[in-house]
Amino acid sequence: MYKNIFKYDEMKRGEHMAVRTCVGWYFWTHQLLEITGPDVTAFLEYIYPNKVGNLAVGRDRYTTMLDEQGEIIDDVVIMRMAEDKYWVSTLFASKTDDWWYYHQGDFDVDWTEVTDDWAMYAVQGPKSKEVIENLVKDSVTDLKFFAHMDTEINGIACKLNRGGFTGEKLGYEIYVSKEDGEALEAVLAPAVEKVGGREVTEFQVMAWTLPTEAGFYYMRDLAHTNPFEVGLADGIDWEKDFLGKTALLKVKEEGPAREMVGFEVPEADVYIRAKQYGGPGEPVFAEGEEEEVGRVSKLVYSYVEEVNNGYILAKKDVLHVGDRIKIHGYDATITKPKWI
Amino acid sequence: MSKKIDERIPRNSGEGAYFKNYYGIQSPWNKLYSYQEALHYASRFESVLSAATVQALRIMVPDYAKRAQLMCEEAYARLYATGKYYGDDDGFGIHPFFCGQFAGALIGDKGDDALLMCGRCQDFGTYRAEKELDVCDWDICGSELCRTTTMSLQGQANASAERRRKGPTMDYLMVEAKGCGDRHCRIIAESREKYPAPPHALWESFGPAVTDEYKKVTEEEDCVSESMMFREECNYHFVNGTNNETDSSNQMINMSTAASLYILPAIAETVKRGYVTREQADHILKCVLEAAGKAMFGERYTIKACRDWMGVPDSIGEDGRVMGGLMEMLLQSLVCKYEVEAFNKEEVILVVDRAGLEITATKDVPEAHLWMWQGMVKTLVNVQWSVWEEDSPAGKMRVKIAKKIDKFM
Repeated sequence: MYKNIFKYDEMKRGEHMAVRTCVGWYFWTHQLLEITGPDVTAFLEYIYPNKVGNLAVGRDRYTTMLDEQGEIIDDVVIMRMAEDKYWVSTLFASKTDDWWYYHQGDFDVDWTEVTDDWAMYAVQGPKSKEVIENLVKDSVTDLKFFAHMDTEINGIACKLNRGGFTGEKLGYEIYVSKEDGEALEAVLAPAVEKVGGREVTEFQVMAWTLPTEAGFYYMRDLAHTNPFEVGLADGIDWEKDFLGKTALLKVKEEGPAREMVGFEVPEADVYIRAKQYGGPGEPVFAEGEEEEVGRVSKLVYSYVEEVNNGYILAKKDVLHVGDRIKIHGYDATITKPKWI
Repeated sequence: MSKKIDERIPRNSGEGAYFKNYYGIQSPWNKLYSYQEALHYASRFESVLSAATVQALRIMVPDYAKRAQLMCEEAYARLYATGKYYGDDDGFGIHPFFCGQFAGALIGDKGDDALLMCGRCQDFGTYRAEKELDVCDWDICGSELCRTTTMSLQGQANASAERRRKGPTMDYLMVEAKGCGDRHCRIIAESREKYPAPPHALWESFGPAVTDEYKKVTEEEDCVSESMMFREECNYHFVNGTNNETDSSNQMINMSTAASLYILPAIAETVKRGYVTREQADHILKCVLEAAGKAMFGERYTIKACRDWMGVPDSIGEDGRVMGGLMEMLLQSLVCKYEVEAFNKEEVILVVDRAGLEITATKDVPEAHLWMWQGMVKTLVNVQWSVWEEDSPAGKMRVKIAKKIDKFM
């Protein structure tokens, strides 16, 4: 018996469900690289496969970053702060810095890491808009998804970005200077509590259970995959030249060798190793077969569906929705990789 | 005596085998071993040396609790102090939004893999983390060391937490330890805000854990024997849950040992506290390490095995080249530079880069090796032979292996 680390944990459940049913706030600072220069747009177009040049000032875009083999080495949000200035939000700034430096060539760009200048807070859930409307100086009614604006909260200058990593339709991210972090928390926490929400403190909730339920990936899930294998190829701009394009075109023509599928394990108290803790993940075998067809990338718990849920990176077209398999001796069912 | 260097392959073996695609080691008789095998060899040899140093410390401080407390205090203070200045949380995949002490688990996780202490992370969250090890080469060093490594992790976790937003405090416990005879080592870190428990002395770090019912115990058939960096299923990379990824290319150079990182510093602390004088400490260390060295080849079959391992030809009988060759194997495995000044049936002289043997910058490590080698030569070759330091240039340890009569040996 391996007691489920999610199911019986009322703290995790409460924090998770606050976001799903009301609103949750949490400290969510990522690493930020600020990049400028005459060639900045052309450079980012070359580094990232998704279109960057048509991004309006004040808008954001999610994109993967690929190596020459077309494998995902980072996934980032690019925020256009001015005509020739962008923020790139990542969790691997030192690697990104090296990667950009290595591929800068003749591009006339300058960048600096500004992580230490900023603190970022996520406010997520159906009542997040109400909370934000009560706090900010300007109306956010017209703020579109993946758009940001400059405003103030209780006299604190901030950048307010509409977006998030929870799958909620309503969610915001507040950027303030690091020095203003505590002052912002002092007004944000009671504002959230006032509408029945709470602080999310558990890493596993903010980075694993909420995103997985929504079909989002943490970078560890994407390592050594290509965008076709994990359903992230839709936004790729095939008209431009970008790093990894040649290799990725080959994948496009031949079709991906693997795919990310979802799975559920009904039994609550199980021991199945997953890549989210590091390591290779539990091997997966199709029913009655001895050949390994995939590895468990993630196993968490859906508090909405009340079931163990996760991802398997599997050989393409071997596992199908509804298939019943055994993983490390436990019954499991293949699903779509999304639960809400 | 001549400074002749007999025919040997390679002439410059002290510089390593220089394979094109990966490091390896090469005996004076052209026996090649891979990087992976060399790392395993060095790890276990150093563990044996470390186990002997623990025995010396046990003589110096006989009381278990007093000794364990001293070791834990010393390691905690030192690793906390150095941890405060790491400033490279990104090097472990510690993200800016991590709050509190749980992120320290990532430091331990990465260190385990580098030290060939393979296993798996079983839980990693803000209020609880669990790491299970299947292998630990340090498992012969005694349970005090298990407690000490736990407190060093606590020190690093606490130091790391001070660089980030305040969060839950974590109590790092080693609830199972191979050094105590358990099947696994198991570190469980628990937030005392979420899982209250009575406070404990620094050295009382074996638990029990409040969250024992959450632990995941890997069965024998699923255990591993290699670190991720040496496993095909891991693409020969260590990768943790925050996608921090490293290969094995620096592990040999960066190897730390139980003696260098914990035990010799604890002995220095014993001297500092006045439990023994420096002279007494060195005397005890020398006695114990020489005895440990002699025990390595006390059985004839171990001599044969060692000679086979290095490819020593039958034409070479009982002389110092056998011992010199073995020392070269270790020095290469530790990526410690040395030069061969003499290598013949009458004498071997190796000029060793002292800093290279001061593993983790611990000054006493070269002497500890010298004392152990002096014991080893007595059984690997015979009692006519000795290993000693003589006429060392600055920054070097000039080690001579030759016959020596000493009426006070």
